[in-house]
Amino acid sequence: MAEEKAGRPVPKPSTYVDTQAFWDGAKQGKLVLQYCKDTGRFQHYPRPVSIFTGSRNLEWREVSGKGTIYACTVIRVPGPGLDGRLPLSVATVELDEGVRILGNVLGSDPDKVAIGQRVEVTWDQLSNDVQYPAFKLV
Amino acid sequence: MSSKRDIVIAGYSETAIEYKSGRSAYDLGGEALAKLLAATGIEKDAIDGLAVTAPLSECPNPFFAVYMTEALGLTPTWLNYGGTGGCSATGGVARAASAIRDGLCEVVVVLSADAPSTSWRANYGAYRGEFQDPPGVQGPPATFGLLMSRYKHQYGLNSDALGKIAITQRNHALHNDNAYAKFKTPITMDDYNKSRIIADPLRLLDCVMFCDGANAFLVTSEAKAKSLGISKMVYPTAYAEITNVNGNQSCPDITETGFSKIAPKLYKQSGLAAKDIKMFQPYDDFTIAVMMKFEDFGFCKRGQGSDFTLDTDLSFKGTLPLNTGGGQISAGQPGLASGGLNLAEAVRQMFGEGGGRQVANPTNALITGIGVIPYARNWGTSAAMILEA
Repeated sequence: MAEEKAGRPVPKPSTYVDTQAFWDGAKQGKLVLQYCKDTGRFQHYPRPVSIFTGSRNLEWREVSGKGTIYACTVIRVPGPGLDGRLPLSVATVELDEGVRILGNVLGSDPDKVAIGQRVEVTWDQLSNDVQYPAFKLV
Repeated sequence: MSSKRDIVIAGYSETAIEYKSGRSAYDLGGEALAKLLAATGIEKDAIDGLAVTAPLSECPNPFFAVYMTEALGLTPTWLNYGGTGGCSATGGVARAASAIRDGLCEVVVVLSADAPSTSWRANYGAYRGEFQDPPGVQGPPATFGLLMSRYKHQYGLNSDALGKIAITQRNHALHNDNAYAKFKTPITMDDYNKSRIIADPLRLLDCVMFCDGANAFLVTSEAKAKSLGISKMVYPTAYAEITNVNGNQSCPDITETGFSKIAPKLYKQSGLAAKDIKMFQPYDDFTIAVMMKFEDFGFCKRGQGSDFTLDTDLSFKGTLPLNTGGGQISAGQPGLASGGLNLAEAVRQMFGEGGGRQVANPTNALITGIGVIPYARNWGTSAAMILEA
């Protein structure tokens, strides 16, 4: 698998807001997301302000990585960065902390992935030193 | 926009839809303008307002709208640059109506032209490189696959209904001289069911294909149109839009779209109800969007879209004529000029120029637009307009 993924693009962190904490967390196998301190709620993808209040009173917090599949599909046609990955299981995962994240479901037959299944975070190796959150069925 | 009948759409034009035409948005836009002038008989220099849609093919130039005025030899006193994708045409008409009422201009052209199949130069930037591209969600099909899966989970989804939408629209495209030539062959349910899956449960025949094309609309006051000697006109009696619905929530119900929020406003402004609508020209990037709009606009209840689709004659002769020019799915999607395609068909029908697909008694039309596909939701902007004779 590692050979197949060698060609995947490695995202450049912090191109539009400071996302370094997400990438630093990923390197340690921790899923770290943006948290609104005023409302006690998470948001993802990261934003320049809280989507709940408009304030910048935000911080980064580790989440459990456990959640439930909210929506799922299987990508079956080629595209940029998809070489060697098809058919590719993609899910919208609703984490137990009350926030959704897009991720691949790895290690299962894509046709067996379904809404309502429990998942937990796993790590997809984009390059030797960059890993990206994905999910596996539990 | 109020339900006052003071502003009109007094003309429309369209180019043919082509794939990899080799032409630019400027050239296509120029053709649409020349056709609009020919159709309405007005002089170019009568135009003092221009609404331009931001095209995928020219988006590296932030001054595209200004460049377009130069290309066309126009000197507008009001210039609007529409950045809501497939909502830019109906939105352009609504903004033009406001500008005319404010006295900023009198005679507006709403122009949408794009050539993404010749020159794709869009780069959405933002979060996508870090958070959307890595899991492989590069384009709208994956997001719509996710949306369809959720819809199916909550309400059930009969694929025959989506197939019927595709087949009905294809039959309509056969009568459309502007439709992309390759799409002018009928399809069957068997063709639909055998079309390849792009992103489960989304099939190829559920999807649009990027093409090149342009359209234009003349918007002015009823009084000015008459003084210009124009006799064919329709009245935009209701318009509403909403962007980033539920945008302050982390876990919204993604089967709830912006249309469910704006449909009541639209009906209230026009005084019409779903049962009064003579034709439906909804933005059709994917068949599921059409079905969800049957629900959002009250043609049936939420979750009953499949049954409604299968039980209703959606042909141009039917009880609810649907995308009578074939829609974008079967005429071809002219990039972000796409929203104008559904609008142009509505105006054409109401002008009685529908030819072999003419709707009987076309006294009103409901048109929608959709703009951009966001992260793990449904779509960015929802816009809708009612035209009345």
